[in-house]
Amino acid sequence: MGKFHSKSIKLNIFNLQISIPVNKLLFGLIIVMFAFGLYLVLVVTRVDAEQQMAQKIFYFHVPSAWSMFLAYFLVLIAGIQYLRTRAEKWDRFGLASAEVGTLFCVLVLITGPIWATPIWGTPWSWEPRLTTTLILFLIYIGYFMLRQYGGDRKQIARLSAIIGIIAFIDVPFIYFSINLWAERDQVHPQSDMGGQPTDVLGTFLFMLLTFTILLSYMIRYRMHVLELDTKLTELEHGI
Amino acid sequence: MLRVLIKKDLLLEFRSKEIVVSMAAFGISVIVLYALGFNASSEEFLKFSPGLLWMMFLFISVLGLHRSFSIEKEFDAFGLLLSAPVSRSDIFLSKWISSFLFLLMSQIIVLPIFFLFLNVSIPKEWLLWILVFLIADLGITALGSLVSGIAMRVRMSEVILPILLFPLVTPLLISVVKCTHGLFNGLLFEEWKIWFQIMVTFVLVFGVTGYLIFDYVSEE
Repeated sequence: MGKFHSKSIKLNIFNLQISIPVNKLLFGLIIVMFAFGLYLVLVVTRVDAEQQMAQKIFYFHVPSAWSMFLAYFLVLIAGIQYLRTRAEKWDRFGLASAEVGTLFCVLVLITGPIWATPIWGTPWSWEPRLTTTLILFLIYIGYFMLRQYGGDRKQIARLSAIIGIIAFIDVPFIYFSINLWAERDQVHPQSDMGGQPTDVLGTFLFMLLTFTILLSYMIRYRMHVLELDTKLTELEHGI
Repeated sequence: MLRVLIKKDLLLEFRSKEIVVSMAAFGISVIVLYALGFNASSEEFLKFSPGLLWMMFLFISVLGLHRSFSIEKEFDAFGLLLSAPVSRSDIFLSKWISSFLFLLMSQIIVLPIFFLFLNVSIPKEWLLWILVFLIADLGITALGSLVSGIAMRVRMSEVILPILLFPLVTPLLISVVKCTHGLFNGLLFEEWKIWFQIMVTFVLVFGVTGYLIFDYVSEE
């Protein structure tokens, strides 16, 4: 796996030298956390009186949305940093964040309707947050198409950095206007997390942490693959 | 220098007339399609006309925005423009203003036809109506010029421009449709003031963003 697993933790147990790569450790941790999270969601947390089992998707839906916004925020940071420094690593960081962010965006768009079908009686409603997510998804489709047709590498990096910045500036406008527009569709659960019982709040925070670690791992891994890809292209073209 | 750049765009258009004429012709075709496709009464049209009107304007603005930048690709005019001692932000401002003027000109041609063909009555508060038009046009062309400047640099720019622009411009579209709805139905300004404020903020934010960021867009 090359550089991705090169950083490792060295342990000395009973004079036995053990070296565990950090990323493998992180990957193992994510699997364990997800298994434990599933146990918390399905077994430990209470079943909602009104929504029954459908409510359980909330523990995946909201962390996915959080991961998406965090990833798109990282695209903004990467864009600004790329335009300032012109270091290719920021372009890779931006692209990796955009890709992983869009993956979570798709998860939000899938889990939302799964929940909405039994609760609202329809898979799709023009509810503000779901609509904002859909519009973000469309913006990032454009972002990836731009990268596809962008020409030389530096130009792609520069233009997509700009789109990443514009997209994030647009988010408050999109959310605010759709929120006002769809006032009659304000059926999204507006619960105050602070007032939730411990099992619900604890599980929710645990899933949020799990998704955040997963997000960081996926971005790092994707950056590594993108770097290898760049090197391969350079070798192929004899640069 | 900004005046020279705007004059160049306007002069090119006055000689060729290709942007405004194609925008207006496209707009009229869309109106005819609306009328034939919906086959609705004027009351029914009144309900949907704000949305239909601004969707049409969005379509025709894409046509104009694309042309106003693609014209620079011919004979590498953009490369020469960049090598001239001109501020890149001024290039953005000139494109913004000229696209705004082209959109306005085509709207002056298309709008009466819209009212005539779809049997929608003209709003009474026409001063406010003009103001809504100007702000919305400034918003569409501010973001449009920025995105068109980006799309122009890549292959398939005519496809990339609407794909990027439409989702980004949704807040403005929603706002202007709400304002137009208020005007068409004779609602008080207070009732749709918030939408007007969103539009003004949108114009300011994307005008400033375009002005600041266009330097990076136009790098060679």
